Amino acid sequence: MTMVNITMNGQKISAPAGSNILQAAKQVGIDIPTLCDHPALVSIGACRICVVEVTGQRTLITACTFPITEGMEIQTESPQVVKARKLILDLLFSERNHYCPMCQMSGDCELQNLGYRYGIDHWIYPTYTKGFPVDASRKYFFMDHNRCVLCGRCERACGDLVANHTLGLRNRGASSMIHADANVPFGESTCISCGSCLQVCPTGALCDKRSAYMGRNIQTEHIKSTCNQCSIGCGMEIVTRGGNVLRIESDWDAEINAGLLCKNGRFDPLYEDRTRVTQPMIRIGGKLRPSSWDETLKTIAEKISGTNAKEIGVLTSSNSTNEALYLLGQLFCKELKATNVGLLNSAAPKLFDKPQGSLADIVKSDVILVAGTDPAKDQPVASFFVKHAVDRGAKLILVGGKDNGLAPFATMILADIGKAVEVAERAGSPVVLYGAGITEKGASALKKLQGKAAFVAIEPGVNTRAAVAFGFNNGFKASAAKVLYALLGEQGLESADVLKDVDKKAFVVVQASYVSPITEKADVVLPMAIWSERAGSLTNTEGRVQKVSKAVEPAGEAKSDWEIISLLANKLGKKLATSLDEISARATQELK
Amino acid sequence: MKAKAGNVDIDISKEFTPEQLKKLDEIIAKNKDKAGALIPVLEQAQGVLEFLPMPILKIIASGLNLPLSRVYGVVTFYSFFTMTPRGKHTMRVCLGTACYVRGGKAINDIIKKELKVEEGETTPDRLFTLETVRCVGACGLGPVIFVGENVHGRLKPAKVKDVISQYN
Ligand code: SF4
Ligand code: SF4
Ligand code: SF4
Ligand code: FES
Ligand code: FES
Repeated sequence: MTMVNITMNGQKISAPAGSNILQAAKQVGIDIPTLCDHPALVSIGACRICVVEVTGQRTLITACTFPITEGMEIQTESPQVVKARKLILDLLFSERNHYCPMCQMSGDCELQNLGYRYGIDHWIYPTYTKGFPVDASRKYFFMDHNRCVLCGRCERACGDLVANHTLGLRNRGASSMIHADANVPFGESTCISCGSCLQVCPTGALCDKRSAYMGRNIQTEHIKSTCNQCSIGCGMEIVTRGGNVLRIESDWDAEINAGLLCKNGRFDPLYEDRTRVTQPMIRIGGKLRPSSWDETLKTIAEKISGTNAKEIGVLTSSNSTNEALYLLGQLFCKELKATNVGLLNSAAPKLFDKPQGSLADIVKSDVILVAGTDPAKDQPVASFFVKHAVDRGAKLILVGGKDNGLAPFATMILADIGKAVEVAERAGSPVVLYGAGITEKGASALKKLQGKAAFVAIEPGVNTRAAVAFGFNNGFKASAAKVLYALLGEQGLESADVLKDVDKKAFVVVQASYVSPITEKADVVLPMAIWSERAGSLTNTEGRVQKVSKAVEPAGEAKSDWEIISLLANKLGKKLATSLDEISARATQELK
Repeated sequence: MKAKAGNVDIDISKEFTPEQLKKLDEIIAKNKDKAGALIPVLEQAQGVLEFLPMPILKIIASGLNLPLSRVYGVVTFYSFFTMTPRGKHTMRVCLGTACYVRGGKAINDIIKKELKVEEGETTPDRLFTLETVRCVGACGLGPVIFVGENVHGRLKPAKVKDVISQYN
């Protein structure tokens, strides 16, 4: 890396060539204020709050856009700089409504913080009396145009990061406004509620509805974790206060998603309205009655001990940690020798023994072949990568129909996978995204691209990859089970259909977080912790093992998925690892 | 396709002739894969269609494979582009200081009421487009309004109707 030597506030520093002044300053801890700039976004130099003095330059220049050159001398807080920044702040505060005490962002607002930093304690210019609209037509967050400083971060996040291009800036000068599509209410626009704009907004213009006015950053905790809504495994931060989850925020350092999240991951988990299972229950006299953990586990252990291995059935949701799936396999398959085990969702076929690509290949590709999967619907962040690549000129070849969420972005929609493979063969660096929807014929057609293309399986479900690795895949025969252990977890199943072939007299144990038609039918129900209440790890669709963190205590007597199985193993007298660290280490070892 | 452009309902198949729409398609086709084509396309399209209502913006956005949010942003940024049809006559009411203190505001209000339009809008019969201006250098004649090239000075509120009825 070529380094460039500069002087900043008298301090000699060297920074990589190609950095701008802002980046060079950040490296040595010099804080140049910003508003329109954001580390994840392209710099546009619009707000001018980051101006600095550079010896030899006629005017002040914007640090966020100006590249450093050898010998450059920079002053970041000279009187002239401070005066200019104050002027900008005076102008910003006099535009629209910035009566901070009424604002949800007060305390965390980047504009307000700058006001404090530069001693803005009164309005120099008369403020607007004109009101601007507040648009609350989106379910999860609202836009208050009165607080908007027109920095354009939201627009760039939507266009450049999510590749959704919903947001734009209309009119000019004092009548400039942020709009969706051609100025329709946000809730009626092409917005997919990923919340990326909300995340980057420096002011209180975009605010989360659910957690509004529920606490400033210093009153909350931010716990890094991994989203467990699909197999992509996006990094995220769980924001809590007083033992409650307030909201989910971006983790900009996350390797896979670099801060992006989708609606399913960011918002939906907090709008859960099913009833929790909060205590162990045993069916006595035809009715489920509360019981203790000890009593309940003993009942299950007795039943299992008295049952022939062939008559034990195990069914699991892929929304389970590596640890739970590992223990489930160890206990039932290895120790108890059960063979009738299955997964509640299908899995993508295994095309190769070794990994042939990763999600990061998508944005670098020139042709993307998508078959047997609908990421726009089921793994949205993966679809952002695809749309991003299409924006950059990649061709999207979709095998399937117009109902696929990626259809509007497709260059070609083909019914015949063979034809799609032919197109990909002619590409420079094609990538194949395939899911559980491809047929055997389709799979062998895709294999023709081996060596040429990068392949990424987009697994349905969540931790499907680990479930399959630990032996849980389709092939489960419900009718053969006399005792059924169903690790349902948080999975929502509309009906008790999965139990329809189960013998009426079978003993059904359900480990679940929510009351459902299945728990209603069970003989024993074990209360399970949900995503925010459990620690462990998940394996994403590429095979990466990532940590999930416990952010809050489980509801009632609920326990983590793996802990329940560990306790059951204990009751059955089977010596399995008991500490989370040990179980994680073993599970990870086996997943390699 | 029906859409509202300002206060005028737009049905593009009634509003524009098939020839006009064909020309639009040609303009789009010619510029399809060119970088920076949006502004020239909008300019040529307005040349052919005279104004660019929402359905036309949608056609242009999808034709050039650009986000509608951007096309709309550009059209509203440049005052050269108009999304509403222009009236046969442009009525400009002066609200400069001199005209204002001499009753320009009242004249403007009466005109808005008479024509049933807001500033920047066109009457449904497409006769007038109403605009305001800040001082046209005829302060001595204030309050003044312009209808096309014609100046109407020292205008009394009671005379507004007469002035309007002079045009058809
Ligand atoms: S909504 Fe927020 S991010 Fe978007 S322009 Fe306004 S202040 Fe900036
Ligand atoms: S939520 Fe996502 S899609 Fe919707 S406007 Fe914001 S960034 Fe764009
Ligand atoms: S793409 Fe999947 S892992 Fe990522 S935020 Fe959305 S649901 Fe969560
Ligand atoms: S932060 Fe540099 S111009 Fe806005
Ligand atoms: S103020 Fe109306 S012409 Fe000068």
